[in-house]
Amino acid sequence: MSPVGGMQKTEGRDMLDDSAPLVKVENLKMHFPIYRGILSRRAGEVKAVDGISFEIMEGETLGLVGESGCGKSTVGRALLRLYDITEGSIEVNGHDVSTIEGEELRKLRPEMQMIFQDPQASLNPRMTVGSIIAEPLDEHTELSKSGKRAKVGELMDAVGLARHFADRYPHEFSGGQRQRIGIARALALNPKFIVCDEPIAALDVSIQAQVVNLLEDLQAQMGLTYLFISHDLSMIRHLATRVAVMYLGRIVELAPRDALYDAPLHPYTEALLSAVPHPDPSQEATRERIILKGDVPSPSNPPKGCNFCTRCPKVMDICRSEEPKWRNFGDGHFAACHLLD
Amino acid sequence: MFNYTIRRLIFTIPTLLFISFVIFFILDTAPNDPTGNLPLTIPPEVREKIRISLGLDKPMFFRYLLWCQQFFVNEPLNMIEQWFNITIGDGDRLRVQSWATRSPVVDLVVERMPQTLWVVGMSYVVGIIIAIPIGVISAYKQYSWFDQIGTFISMLGFSVPTFFTGLLMIVIFSVNLHWFPSIYDTTHKVTDWGSFVFQVKQMIMPVMVLAFFNAAQLSRFMRASMLDNLQQDYVRTARAKGLKERVVVLTHVLRNSLIPVVTVIALGVPQVFGGAIITEQIFKVNGLGQLLIIGIQGADIPLVQTLTFIFAVLIVLFNLIADILYGLLDPRIRYD
Amino acid sequence: MKITNLLMTAAGASLLASTAMAGSHEARGRDGHVNLIYWQAASIMNPYLSGGTKDTNAASMVVEPLARYDENGNMVAYLAEEIPTVANGGVSEDLTTITWKLKAGLKWSDGSAVTASDVVFTGGYCMDPDGGCQQIGQFSDVTNIEALDDVTVKITFGVPKPFPYGPFVGQETPILQEAQFADCTGVAAPTCTDANFGPIGTGPFVVTDFRANDTISLEANDNYRDATKPAFASVTFKGGGDAAAAARSVLETGEFDYAWNLQIAPEILVQMESKGMGTVLSSFGPLVERIMVNMTDPSASLGDERSTVAHAHPFLSDINVRKALSLAIDRPLLVEVGYGKAGKPTCNVLPAPAIYNSTANDACQVQDIAAANALLDGAGWARGSDGVRAKDGVRLSILYQTSTNAVRQDFQALIKQWWGEIGVETELKNIDGAVFFGGDQSSPDTFQKLFADVEMYANNFSGTDPEAYMGNWACSNIPSPENAWLGMNMPRHCSAEYDGLVAEMAETADIATRAELAMAMNDILMQNYVIIPLVHRGNVSASANTLDGVALNAWDSELWNIADWSRK
Repeated sequence: MSPVGGMQKTEGRDMLDDSAPLVKVENLKMHFPIYRGILSRRAGEVKAVDGISFEIMEGETLGLVGESGCGKSTVGRALLRLYDITEGSIEVNGHDVSTIEGEELRKLRPEMQMIFQDPQASLNPRMTVGSIIAEPLDEHTELSKSGKRAKVGELMDAVGLARHFADRYPHEFSGGQRQRIGIARALALNPKFIVCDEPIAALDVSIQAQVVNLLEDLQAQMGLTYLFISHDLSMIRHLATRVAVMYLGRIVELAPRDALYDAPLHPYTEALLSAVPHPDPSQEATRERIILKGDVPSPSNPPKGCNFCTRCPKVMDICRSEEPKWRNFGDGHFAACHLLD
Repeated sequence: MFNYTIRRLIFTIPTLLFISFVIFFILDTAPNDPTGNLPLTIPPEVREKIRISLGLDKPMFFRYLLWCQQFFVNEPLNMIEQWFNITIGDGDRLRVQSWATRSPVVDLVVERMPQTLWVVGMSYVVGIIIAIPIGVISAYKQYSWFDQIGTFISMLGFSVPTFFTGLLMIVIFSVNLHWFPSIYDTTHKVTDWGSFVFQVKQMIMPVMVLAFFNAAQLSRFMRASMLDNLQQDYVRTARAKGLKERVVVLTHVLRNSLIPVVTVIALGVPQVFGGAIITEQIFKVNGLGQLLIIGIQGADIPLVQTLTFIFAVLIVLFNLIADILYGLLDPRIRYD
Repeated sequence: MKITNLLMTAAGASLLASTAMAGSHEARGRDGHVNLIYWQAASIMNPYLSGGTKDTNAASMVVEPLARYDENGNMVAYLAEEIPTVANGGVSEDLTTITWKLKAGLKWSDGSAVTASDVVFTGGYCMDPDGGCQQIGQFSDVTNIEALDDVTVKITFGVPKPFPYGPFVGQETPILQEAQFADCTGVAAPTCTDANFGPIGTGPFVVTDFRANDTISLEANDNYRDATKPAFASVTFKGGGDAAAAARSVLETGEFDYAWNLQIAPEILVQMESKGMGTVLSSFGPLVERIMVNMTDPSASLGDERSTVAHAHPFLSDINVRKALSLAIDRPLLVEVGYGKAGKPTCNVLPAPAIYNSTANDACQVQDIAAANALLDGAGWARGSDGVRAKDGVRLSILYQTSTNAVRQDFQALIKQWWGEIGVETELKNIDGAVFFGGDQSSPDTFQKLFADVEMYANNFSGTDPEAYMGNWACSNIPSPENAWLGMNMPRHCSAEYDGLVAEMAETADIATRAELAMAMNDILMQNYVIIPLVHRGNVSASANTLDGVALNAWDSELWNIADWSRK
């Protein structure tokens, strides 16, 4: 058990007293084994997610940002139990989903859904749009045929697709339309919690805003809770209630949106934010970009101490030997860095 | 799709004509003599007369056109006459005649069809029935003991020739155990339970030998195709939808994985009609394959020419069928 | 005349045998079903349209000739009342006519009577120039066939025929029913599929289902002339597979009762036979595996005159070389390696029937490399630095061709080694049988062109009379471009003495004198070493131990007496 996780849990709760958390994650670890050699001996593991804890309040959007490969998509999939997790606990809407399997888990699926990054690949090419959207209804509801058809129609209306598209196949649509299909499909069972795994990354910029607005509207209408995974800090700033920053399998900073964007505490957050262009030209002129040197270390062999120590511009000796502690700096602003001690 | 099919069919006509000419040309230039297998006691002058009576003194082009007329005009007319029980013209047309049996080649082919379709066709069906579940399970449990054993067995099926497995089965089940006959009875008719049991008994060995061989190849195709699809995002979507695992694998993954496999299966059908020369020879299932090999050995050129051409037609046809099937099964493919 | 006695005895013996059987009062079809396997499947039931042994054997169960040869090579009257001879007046004194009398009351399987006009028709059927008849050779020199009355047929030859038993004797030329084949003569012959697949005959069985190159189903002929025969009610004649499988089905699994032509490795047959289910039978006809020595020069540089008598062979025209080649061969070893029970070492090209077998050349049974070497040394063929003998710049280097066949390739390898020991270099070549034995004029690889120094194959003759066979080595039978390479005198051997013997035999009817002449011809060929005989080959078949009455016959169809077969 990582000490970081434990601290986050207790202090996080103090701050958010007015609403109950819908999702609670404690010390989540997701390690993928590596096999090598003729005999396929287990040679180590990729620590894609290495002990993270956070909560998501009902109705809020938690933004999860980080570079590619930092493990943010793994967090999303692990949360929905598309993986068998290595360690830790996950609670969604009061159900512990971390260890259940099979039928028990399947029963809980309607409550938590996912919108995928690649709308093309995530839709079965041999099924019509109508049957893709209706399939969860077949599986989890007792609706009549006409009831299902009506529900599919409603969902297509809700995501802005013409109803007569129901008989077409996914390849006949544009990227934005496909993502709408993906959203309609995710909404079919009235979920409470949706993981949006970079839902707009594969779309044209002109389409991105439409999809994001759709997601926002749906959240307002249906009271959805989002975990919004993205590497796009501007989009997160637009959407998120709170933001978590991930680096190499761990969360390094977690704060309400404005606090994070205005006064980042962790050097990694600072570096990420420095890369975002500012809409105000005067401020943009003075923006100083912090360039991080070197590559992200391999998650199968993370550095000792603080795992950002190999690239941190403000690195100190202690960073290479001791893990920094996860601390609350007031108003729900958490971070883990020796600089802050 | 319809227009596409019609267009493709029209294009096959010159292709097939060309193929028929090439076959004829190759057979004609091959050093072969229909009297070569006769006993040496038959004197050379008589051989020469026999050759003339077979029409071998005529120029090649003439013989080719004659064959074309017999095969493309006379045979179809004859077939129509038989089907509708009518007489067209004087009804006296020369059909393609085998040199060895002096009987119409098409009748020989029709006579051979039942055993070939039963044995080779059945082995193909059994092969598919065995291969698909093995391929699915192997892929779903990749690197499990089942997959490892499956890989090993299909490697055996690939690499061990049917004449070896066939002989092995005969030695075990016919010679030592006396369970099954080693020689297939093509005249056997199924009329009651007892004769049905006999038919099953005599079919088991050739069918299993061939099915094993077919299944080895197909199960590898199936496995590879399943593995491709199992890693697709839509499978994750299906799981996230909360579908039962069975539904995820059978409805989503299998249906998509079957597209290329169905194509491979369709492309393999002409082989069924072509018969399995070696297996037919070993179990004495005198089907089309054996007919062809006897024709080749006896330099029975009209027989070989006609059979080879029929195989060519089937191959061209099933290529087209495979393409159309692909179009029907995969909504992403559109012709025209 | 001796021939008369011999033939009469034979006819009498068979008559006696059939009477004995009739006395047993056993019913036709009492022994149920018998299964025969011919791994080369039968293609057609009309022997006139196919010369293949498999086809003529199959047909012999249904259609019958006037007379057959029994297992000892003696003629036995079948449809004929007796064998015509000069003594009984059946053969004219000038040897140009033979008159056959049919047995009385013979019926076709459809119940109609067999008449002399059927015999006349059959002759005309085969002699029709457009019919492509494959047995036309049996009718050579026939000028007329006529019916003297309903049961008497007279055959007239254009030349004196001391052995007039070509037409309608043996499995190749059975009698066809005129009523069935009347519309099937000349160019129409091949189109009569139904008749060709199911001829109406006089034999013990009739065809019920014919599947070309596959299976023939037959059942007992209700109108067969002997009411007690055949013992079997039905026959399955299965084709397909290979010799080993056929042997297995009789000797190991017992699925079949009789398997034909089992040319497989001798030790495998012995092993199969040890299971105790069946017996391996062998019989010896006149089939001899031999090496033909080319007496003419096969050099490609000669163009059109290649392998013709225009140029003598540079070294094989020396008899010492030819003799040395023969001396170097270990014939018993060849038999052991290649044929086992199915072969015997032989020093004659005419080893059978027994009366024709010369004993003058038996020394060749023993290999003598030393003698061969001495012979070549004496003749001035000296070994060169590479061990190959040469004289006057001519090296003893031989191109040795044969057809593709495992046993023949083994023989080639062994012989090459022995010839190497006597300083003869050998290059081996094998050619696909269909090409080698085929008469394709455009192919340089036919056995008749013999564009090589020596070649190996086997040959024999049908029936028991060697006249035509020995006539193969007359000067007139030398293949050459002039006669389109037709002719069987492969060595291109030509001697006046030999041709004289051929002519003399053509005028001699006495069988003992004929035998002397044939042996003299054989000895000329042997002592000149233009043909080097290797193995006297037999037929090997297998019969189930429950089968009774099988008499393996090298002179006629193996199924010649299937009417007498029964279950033990």
